[in-house]
Amino acid sequence: MGNLFFNRFLTQASFSVNRSAVNWELFKKGMNEMKKLFVFVLTALLVAGCSTAPKTDPTEGGTATPSASAAINVYTRDATSGTREAFEKAGDFAEQLTSSAIEVSSNGDMATKVGADVNGIGYVSLSTDFAANGVKPLNFEGVAPSEATVLDGTYGMQRPFAFTTRAAGDYESAEKEQLIAAFLDFLQNSTEGMLVVEKAGGVVDKSQGKAWAELAANHPIVNEDNSAITIATCGSTSVEKTLKAALEAFQPLAGNFQFTMNQTGSGDGYKRVLGSEKDGANRADIGFASRAFKSGEEDTSSAMASGQYCIDAVVTIVNEANTAVANLTQAQVHDIFTGTVTSWDQIQ
Amino acid sequence: MESNLKARIRPGQARRKQRTDRTVRAVFFLAALISGSCIVLITLFILMKGIQPFLPGYAYGSVSLKDFLLGTLWRQDQGVYGVGFIVINTLISAFGALLLAFPIAVLTALFIVKIAPKPVKPLMKTVVELLASIPSVVYGVFAAGVITSLVKGLASLAGVSTAGGSSLLAVILLLAIMIFPTITSLAVTAIEAVDPDLELGSLALGASATQTHFKVVLASAKSGIFAGAILGLGRAFGEATAVAMVAGNKLFGPTFNLFDITRTLTSTMLAGLKETTGLDYDIRFSVGLLLMVVILLSNLSLNWVKKKVGNGQ
Repeated sequence: MGNLFFNRFLTQASFSVNRSAVNWELFKKGMNEMKKLFVFVLTALLVAGCSTAPKTDPTEGGTATPSASAAINVYTRDATSGTREAFEKAGDFAEQLTSSAIEVSSNGDMATKVGADVNGIGYVSLSTDFAANGVKPLNFEGVAPSEATVLDGTYGMQRPFAFTTRAAGDYESAEKEQLIAAFLDFLQNSTEGMLVVEKAGGVVDKSQGKAWAELAANHPIVNEDNSAITIATCGSTSVEKTLKAALEAFQPLAGNFQFTMNQTGSGDGYKRVLGSEKDGANRADIGFASRAFKSGEEDTSSAMASGQYCIDAVVTIVNEANTAVANLTQAQVHDIFTGTVTSWDQIQ
Repeated sequence: MESNLKARIRPGQARRKQRTDRTVRAVFFLAALISGSCIVLITLFILMKGIQPFLPGYAYGSVSLKDFLLGTLWRQDQGVYGVGFIVINTLISAFGALLLAFPIAVLTALFIVKIAPKPVKPLMKTVVELLASIPSVVYGVFAAGVITSLVKGLASLAGVSTAGGSSLLAVILLLAIMIFPTITSLAVTAIEAVDPDLELGSLALGASATQTHFKVVLASAKSGIFAGAILGLGRAFGEATAVAMVAGNKLFGPTFNLFDITRTLTSTMLAGLKETTGLDYDIRFSVGLLLMVVILLSNLSLNWVKKKVGNGQ
């Protein structure tokens, strides 16, 4: 069977080699007609290509301005995005997004697409380079988005990344407890930790940062070999990027400990370290939430440590050529993204 | 001389040769088995994962198969998963691309094999092969930068607005460019394999070269050309990365307007895949399963057409 196929393949291959040489000589004379046809088609294509190309220029980049009555194109991230979750919460329209929204795949994709669409509106994280993408950040409730306004709390489209640990003494070993205390000190207070978190998209107040070398003196545990210790984290999925970056940066500084991340949602952050599941199969050492822990319901007073390590801020963006809007209230964000307001002149 | 012959057909040597043959056959069989079992394994795995969400007792709450297949809304945030419109969109974009690329590809192949001057021929072949080997993400970047602005210009000429050029038209143009080299290279092989005696006969009967090319050469090669079309269509159906970059990923549909945004099965599977769990993750396998069914059905129907026009070749 195999032989048969192989033979056939060989004969076919040799056939096609023989043929092309013969053809050229035989058909040389009869080609003129076809040649003319192809020259014509090629020329037509070239002309068409050249004549359409320049026409695209006026609409490219930021030269065109949207007319006030033009329809708004709403851009959104896909449903798994943490930025989308934060933005929908800030605009109070979870699950109510207009179905005519255009879905983009990433933060950078969002900036590029809105930068290419004069009628586009979308949202990105604060760390995005607005000017390079041709987009304009919008004020929220009259406050311009910046690191300073996020940190002093006046810019409203933000959420804290909060953490809490197990109760003091409630760990497998004293070494683990000390190591976790060291990590949280690194995450919250060291300049090195802050830079890592900032690079991963979080907003931090670097003026409060201290050099890790200075802080490490309080944590002698980091000088031991900790490769047998595994720190388990749980809670919010949104913190994953910043948390993972921080854990990976801290590993070589603290005796190469191991870590596992089981991020399932903010609700599990409290539950699995201090709440009902703290001794269950999913028990963890540090729990995270992309919101403040609920007072009363999620009482973190018994924890060894709790607090927030950075802020996640989302910014509404429009094309830089868009002069119709510079500031949005929460109600306006809600109306635009739920499809109640569909053209620029409807925004007062 | 005689002794020489005897030495050649020594029973021991014959046995050794037979043994080699057997070993080689076993190796071939093993290779065939590995590649064959890959298909079986993939299909089984996708089938098992993809059917899950429709079975009663599914961990995240089972989905109605009817709503899934006939749905016209895909909203993960609301838990609405309808792919009916996405199937239609996928068919439109893939067949639209085929419609655009097929004639150009066949004429290019005809040019390369029959008309191009000898020095141009290998050059053109290399160009086509180069096109075929460009990774799809590169096509995607090109499409996001160039095709979308072209479409945006066209739209403003036509007086309609587009979402920055992301549209069904952009998807069709992108896919047409991507499948063009596949169809061309297969058509080149098919046209090269046409018996030259057929052409000579046609010319001897007084037909012009053009008549011969279209009525004899293309007619004899159509079986192979159709094989190229089927492969090209497969690529158009399966392309995810590049398409997701220009499709706009509409949440409802179907989309028939060339300047409106669209959503294909592959871009649906890809969007947010890395960050999702539960039903939203598992349902992507169902979409994959459906995509395999769509491709299979399209190939079967194209094969049927091929048989019809190929006169039993």
